[in-house]
Amino acid sequence: MLAIHLFNGLVYGALLIIISSGLALIYGLRRVVNFAHGALYMLGAYLGFAIMQASNFWVALVLAPAAMAFLGVLLDRYGFRLLQDREPLSVMLVTFGLLLILEDVVVFIWGKTNYSIFTPELLHFSVTLFGESVPAYRVAVLFMGVLVAVGLTAWLRFSRVGLYVRAASTDPVTTSMQGVNTDLISAGVVGLGCALAGLAGIVAAPFLSLSPSMGSDVLIDSFVVVVIGGLGSLGGAFLVAVLLGIIQTLGAVYMPAIAVLLPFMLMIAVLIWKPSGLAGSRT
Amino acid sequence: MHSLRVPALLLIVGILVTQFVQSGSLYSIFTQAVIYAIFALGIGILLRQNGLVSFGHALYFGMAGYGMGILLAGSGMPAEAAMLLVLLVMGLSAFLIGLVIVRVPGIAFSMLTLAMGQMSYLLASRARGVTGGADGMGIAWPAQVFGVSQSVLLKPPTFFLISWCIMVAVLLVVSLILATRFGSISEAIRDNEERARFIGIRTTVPRALIYALSAVVTGIAGLLSSLNSGFISPESLHWSVSAIALLMVIVGGFRQLAGPIVGAIVYVLIKDVLGDLATHSMAIFGTALIIVIVFAPEGIAGVLRHWLRRPQTAASANELPGS
Repeated sequence: MLAIHLFNGLVYGALLIIISSGLALIYGLRRVVNFAHGALYMLGAYLGFAIMQASNFWVALVLAPAAMAFLGVLLDRYGFRLLQDREPLSVMLVTFGLLLILEDVVVFIWGKTNYSIFTPELLHFSVTLFGESVPAYRVAVLFMGVLVAVGLTAWLRFSRVGLYVRAASTDPVTTSMQGVNTDLISAGVVGLGCALAGLAGIVAAPFLSLSPSMGSDVLIDSFVVVVIGGLGSLGGAFLVAVLLGIIQTLGAVYMPAIAVLLPFMLMIAVLIWKPSGLAGSRT
Repeated sequence: MHSLRVPALLLIVGILVTQFVQSGSLYSIFTQAVIYAIFALGIGILLRQNGLVSFGHALYFGMAGYGMGILLAGSGMPAEAAMLLVLLVMGLSAFLIGLVIVRVPGIAFSMLTLAMGQMSYLLASRARGVTGGADGMGIAWPAQVFGVSQSVLLKPPTFFLISWCIMVAVLLVVSLILATRFGSISEAIRDNEERARFIGIRTTVPRALIYALSAVVTGIAGLLSSLNSGFISPESLHWSVSAIALLMVIVGGFRQLAGPIVGAIVYVLIKDVLGDLATHSMAIFGTALIIVIVFAPEGIAGVLRHWLRRPQTAASANELPGS
């Protein structure tokens, strides 16, 4: 039994990796704590659901994140870029407004009923892992999480654009003086962040049901991940995502009261001792 | 005496409402608005005096209800004493928490309060033995509170007027507190903490006191809500409750003390009174929030104030080009 819970924890951790890396990327470039991120995840899932009805899961897996990327570029161009001189707190509240609007849009189009997506035919079988039989789809989700983690790290570390992204998140003014178009970089990164949120949504859809409130809990979990992991530090976020996934799944089974509180206690401790990451001022 | 003008005006408005409104269900909605208004007032005080945005004030809103539920169920304490005790304990614990957390600046503070609020939500939903878990708990109010029987007290017009008067009293007391030297000190710290420290002000204690004050005000809203519904569930501790109350503060405007009250009334009007729009009230409010932050950061109360003063400023503005 332990192995299967551990496995499910890892799967949830993989999902958190995909979501919170987007959150961390957007924070890194725009210093925006994006409250709408959970809503973007939800929107991604619903878009995927709609696309699936017209075609199949695999098309949705590509098209839904693509649509979210487009939305993200718009969000950066007509939102974050215009607001970049405002206080971080104001921008955070704007993203909260966006969350309310997106949730309402989803309710308007798809209603309040829960939907579920069937596991794609190709992955509709079981594999045996540590002597336990687990759905192949969940193994695929696990791989997707690893793929995103490795892909993002490699991209940031080894590519030229990745270098620009790292430079722009350290010091956007100097970076733009060096001739890098930081606005373009930001638009790209916010687009990528939204695409990752959408990807997480469509990936989660076959094993978590779709509802307009699905973004809320995931949002708080990814805040926990990003804060404990250290803002802007993707590596830290990946590690914490996996740990949180395991704690949540194992905790729910073995020690419900303590385990759910532990991540928040850690988050509070981190914020009290080292709030600098989120202090928000950058000159 | 300037600080008395708004409370006096509000008191008259409240009495006028009871003269003209007949429908009982309308009163229930109004009472809801007043409870929200006091809740938002608490968040507004923190934002106005400390410059800190709390995303977790539902903690104090829900804590008041749970405090009453637990005290009335277990201790046999009279309800009046229990209410006082709840507020006292809450003020004290908020002060101690405040001593630690008000040093945390900006967004980090918001995340911190979010984590605290969410922790209390999870705690209340898991601790079945004490709080009834996710099902919530009924609050065993005695037949008489402050010598008035419940059936009289909870009659919609009566309870509305009582809540409204409590709201006005809270506003009055808070504005009197903030009109003192203590109020000016907290503003000095908000504007420049380092400078305030240089001129010899101890900066943490006043900020923690403001935090405690804001918690107690929100707690009063929690008490009223628990009296009104006789029930408390973890839902009232959820972060979205904090966020909605915060939204009222921003839309209403936090620079005026009464701004959050305006925000709460506008929120309830959009949500419950304009029937056709009610299904999309959250989108309307989200849009309002964005519009206010981008175009009118002082909120509705700020804009109203500006309009009321415009005759003078407009006249002087007109003179300039001609001269």
